[in-house]
Amino acid sequence: MTVHASFPDAALEPAPLLTVSGVSRFYGERIGCADVSFDLWPGEVLGIVGESGSGKSTLLRCLAGIDKPDAGEVLFRAGPEPLDIYSVSEQERRRLMRTAWGIVHQNPRDGLRMDVTAGGNVGERLMDRGDRHYGKIRERALDWLQRVEIAGSRIDDRPRQFSGGMQQRLQIARVLVSEPRLVFMDEPTGGLDVSVQARLLDLLRVLVRDLGLAAIIVTHDLAVARLLTDRLMVMKDGHVVEQGLTDQVLDDPHHAYTQLLTSAVLSV
Amino acid sequence: MTTMIQVENVAKTFTLHNQGGTRLPVFDDVNFTVEAGEALVLAGASGAGKSSLLRILYGNYRPTSGAIRITHAGRPVDIVSAVPRTVLDIRRRTLGFVSQFLRVIPRVSALDIVRDPLLARGASQGEASDRAKAMLTRLNLPERLWNLAPATFSGGEQQRVNIARSFVDPSPIMLIDEPTASLDAANRDVVVELISEARTAGSAIVGIFHDEAVRERVATRYLDITSFRKAA
Amino acid sequence: MTMHQVPAEDTKPAYNYAYLDEQTKRMIRRALLKAVAVPGYQVPFGSREMPLARGWGTGGIQVTAAIIGPSDALKVIDQGADDTTNAVSIRKFFERTADARTTEATEEATIIQTRHRIPEAPLKSGQVIVYQVPMPEPLRKLEPREAETRKMHAWAEYGLMQVKLYENIARFGEVTTTYDYPVLVNGRYVTAPSPIPKFDNPKMHMSPALQLFGAGREKRIYAIPPHTSVKSLDFEDHPFRIQSWTEPCGLCGAGDSYLDEVVIDDRGARMFVCSDSHYCETRRAEGHRGAMLGDAALTGLVEETKP
Repeated sequence: MTVHASFPDAALEPAPLLTVSGVSRFYGERIGCADVSFDLWPGEVLGIVGESGSGKSTLLRCLAGIDKPDAGEVLFRAGPEPLDIYSVSEQERRRLMRTAWGIVHQNPRDGLRMDVTAGGNVGERLMDRGDRHYGKIRERALDWLQRVEIAGSRIDDRPRQFSGGMQQRLQIARVLVSEPRLVFMDEPTGGLDVSVQARLLDLLRVLVRDLGLAAIIVTHDLAVARLLTDRLMVMKDGHVVEQGLTDQVLDDPHHAYTQLLTSAVLSV
Repeated sequence: MTTMIQVENVAKTFTLHNQGGTRLPVFDDVNFTVEAGEALVLAGASGAGKSSLLRILYGNYRPTSGAIRITHAGRPVDIVSAVPRTVLDIRRRTLGFVSQFLRVIPRVSALDIVRDPLLARGASQGEASDRAKAMLTRLNLPERLWNLAPATFSGGEQQRVNIARSFVDPSPIMLIDEPTASLDAANRDVVVELISEARTAGSAIVGIFHDEAVRERVATRYLDITSFRKAA
Repeated sequence: MTMHQVPAEDTKPAYNYAYLDEQTKRMIRRALLKAVAVPGYQVPFGSREMPLARGWGTGGIQVTAAIIGPSDALKVIDQGADDTTNAVSIRKFFERTADARTTEATEEATIIQTRHRIPEAPLKSGQVIVYQVPMPEPLRKLEPREAETRKMHAWAEYGLMQVKLYENIARFGEVTTTYDYPVLVNGRYVTAPSPIPKFDNPKMHMSPALQLFGAGREKRIYAIPPHTSVKSLDFEDHPFRIQSWTEPCGLCGAGDSYLDEVVIDDRGARMFVCSDSHYCETRRAEGHRGAMLGDAALTGLVEETKP
């Protein structure tokens, strides 16, 4: 699907940030995800929803370059030339993962260095890209801690002294400090109390809008999807069964499985 | 006159897969247009599908067939076949939806909710705040509530926040679903004024108004949708 | 190199020259050549069992054994001193197995095997300094996976190393690492300089001597060829600084050397003396006298050299 066919407006971005074609991943006989294709445009937030085992996390791992799919291609346009993320060198892929994109893990322990201070955690990506001015690194770390609503006085504390919600916010600051174009989030509010979730969701919503981030968010929580995403992909047994605008999919679901999902929640 | 909405041969049937594949036909062969500067009021008995039609115009419900051309940035775009990001762009710049219910976003203050569409369209922080405050004042929302999140507001207060958000910068097309349902007479008058002002300024209005008095003051034209009902 | 001819009546065991067999020495020399070609890169090698425990300098000894010849003069220092147990043992080892001429004079030595120090006297072209390295991987404490640290080196992903320095400054106001302070060799590989004090790091930069590093337990060899840049990692606004002392050496009065603190009685009295024993002795022989030289001679701590 190209936008030019239906809407040749030059004011819109000229090319998708991510073009996913035919991505499939199998575990022996079992399907992880099968033949997934879509475009993601700069500033768009895509939700992937489905039950546990529907293949959404497998897909995310393939898209983020953590796992290699058995078939398919993912093109990422960070510069003038699109990069095929599976055929570029591991070095280039690692560089991308530290700069132009970021991954927010469900468990903050997977995304943070637990024995490094909050400031060091946030500053690492800056030092990765070659920043060597302690004062400036610290200043930016402080700025980011405040943006994710962590008091500046906690900059020299280690993540293990933080609550779960704070750890998750710290992880987000650690990823966003390098101003990525694309962020992958795996159940970013999973495992948090409802009130803590609400705060985090609002923070993510504001950051995504203010930074013009493109994001792919895996969640089983339709309320999270409603609040954060522009578009939705519904997965079942490794296949995308329905996709479209988030409110279309949730308010007027066409596929039997989506109808089941949306009727199973109290109110979204 | 500029045609803002052109509905062509739209049909809609709901299929309930989890209830034995029950098919619920709603419309067949819907055709009409809406011009800039007019207020089209949808008429028909309760359950005739007025709200569904409004949602189809907004791109929220997907018609089974047909096209809906929305005049967006000077040219017609079919919202039915447009890709998601085009639909979002149409909604951001051209198409506003005013419902009776405010979707409360946790922790966001009433003032920020009203400022949001102005900021999204590129207004400065200062200008957005000034216009948002003026709108909340006009809708008689007490100033002490401005910086609170509306989760704890009464139904009428939430509704006024929602109306303020919608009319602080009226879209070229406004789709309005029962905006005055739980408002007192004074605030109802304000809403009627806001709609008339938007229309006079050139917006195309399509609305559903349960209150007959409101309906008569707002409408420049009626469309009875009963004729579009599909015989089941 | 030829087999060391052992006379029949000699009671020495029939070791090969310099203890290691020739195949092993060739293997080590190949590793050394590669290490010199890629400054700062850790080359794996087949570390052998040596007649002393790993961790006591087996890496350095194997490197020395692979390069030493009958015309060499060997100096061995441990903690800067020529007369400590480990230094004496290693020196004797090469005296017995390689018929090596040994010396305590830095200027005379062609090979200097060291643990913990670089001599104060500037090294010259033609000299080789061999470091005994317990822990060759500077990233190990930050990243336990060997496969991962190799990738980090391969692609010069050294942000994490900088995070370690950041953490130091954040907690203590300065980088508190005082020995084995990481360096960037030839602008490319982050390298462990072995547990020398950071005081000695600047001596590695553009040194005219060849610097070889051997880690016996970890089975790694690396090198810094002569005239190679060696930069101690730092921040622009927290530049690398070496240790300094408020008083000169109590024995020779040197103000430019690395000093050890020595407790001299049971009441906590102490003095600071050069850790490089040869440097200190040379200066005293030249007539330099520290403030406490007389006292130290009285208590038998040093023999007062007559100028």
